[in-house]
Amino acid sequence: MSSEQDDNLPDTDEARDDSLLAAEWSLGLLEGEDLIAARGKQASDPDFAWRKEWWDNWFAPLADEIPPAEPSAQVWERIASAIAQPEPRSAEVVALKARLKTWQMVSAVTSAAAAIAVMISVFSPTTTSVAPSEPMVAAAPAPLVAVLPIEGTALRLDVTFIPESDQLLVAAIGLSADNVHDHELWLLPADGGDVQSLGIITPGKVQRSSLSEQITRNLAAGAQVLLTREPLGGKPADASPGPVVAKGAFSSV
Amino acid sequence: MLRLADGDKTALEEIYHATRVKLFGICLRILGDRKEAEDALQDVYINLWQRADRYDPARASPIAWLAAFARNRAIDRLRTGKVRGGAVPVEEAAPLADEAPLAEALLIDLERNAQIHTCLGALDERTQIHIRAAFFEGKTYAQLADQAGVPLGTMKSWIRRGLLRLRACLEASERA
Repeated sequence: MSSEQDDNLPDTDEARDDSLLAAEWSLGLLEGEDLIAARGKQASDPDFAWRKEWWDNWFAPLADEIPPAEPSAQVWERIASAIAQPEPRSAEVVALKARLKTWQMVSAVTSAAAAIAVMISVFSPTTTSVAPSEPMVAAAPAPLVAVLPIEGTALRLDVTFIPESDQLLVAAIGLSADNVHDHELWLLPADGGDVQSLGIITPGKVQRSSLSEQITRNLAAGAQVLLTREPLGGKPADASPGPVVAKGAFSSV
Repeated sequence: MLRLADGDKTALEEIYHATRVKLFGICLRILGDRKEAEDALQDVYINLWQRADRYDPARASPIAWLAAFARNRAIDRLRTGKVRGGAVPVEEAAPLADEAPLAEALLIDLERNAQIHTCLGALDERTQIHIRAAFFEGKTYAQLADQAGVPLGTMKSWIRRGLLRLRACLEASERA
């Protein structure tokens, strides 16, 4: 069944076709930049997503060889309490809920398209930005929301900015700390200005922080946010940011 | 799974009870640490609860989908760095005393199971070993190359050649 035509398969990554990349990802061989590239492709390329699933489905039966094991009873208790937990209740969050609901329904429908749009916009800075001298806060009184899906997982990070109080709410529910890395959130001002740190996220929590005017003036619909993986304590002052693990853009709700 | 998407909590509990030993076995095998594996397992079901709509019954059996999902989550955790990589001591996996009926009921797909084994078995032994190490131990190319004492490029070349043959064999079986 196998031919010899592939015996000279080069070992360079450039020579690898998408089907192979999908297989490598499905097996779990990828790490670092390759892994991020594969996740990006998953969001933007339906053929690639299909192929990844094709490999997943073929490899899945191998898992039958793995002996079953019983988790401790606490696992279900933790799951049950996690799914029973009411949404975090702050006055703002409650007030936002109705608007968010509508927005989420819309975003669910358009999420695939949005994922592509976000990918494109991240790599091609928009030129239609407002003049840098123009203050954005007055123009954008409505809360801004950005959703950052963590590619390759069902997890996401929800970021909400409340202009009235200059507060940022970052919900990292379902994410867990690995105790080796921190994840830092970044704002890419729409005017092409320097990237600004929005702080380190707290996995499993809704975190509230007050933003300085230097940051709030850059917060507007369309402003992009990135999540990068950093050493504990966040990006060292003298280092480049770590790999981007999620991205999104603010929109008005 | 459809009930889950409608927010039925008892549906999640039923799924948990039916699938936990299989999925926990997978997480434990990849992560090699009970606590990490339990955290991964917890993630899997909470994710499932939040995003049951991602499952498309037309594309995979529920258990195949869940097994792949659990393994992917476990590998994600492995890659975040905290967990020690490497082979899991078998005794640590603490298999259940006699779960045979349950395990059988959860066999993912007999026909596909046979086919993937046939196609893997047609590869040379060295390639099989490395592909299996990637699947069962969550090894990266770099770790496999290190373990085998060959350059990274050589390992990539071996495995990619194997994957191309595997794809050809599996596709041929789909056409048959």
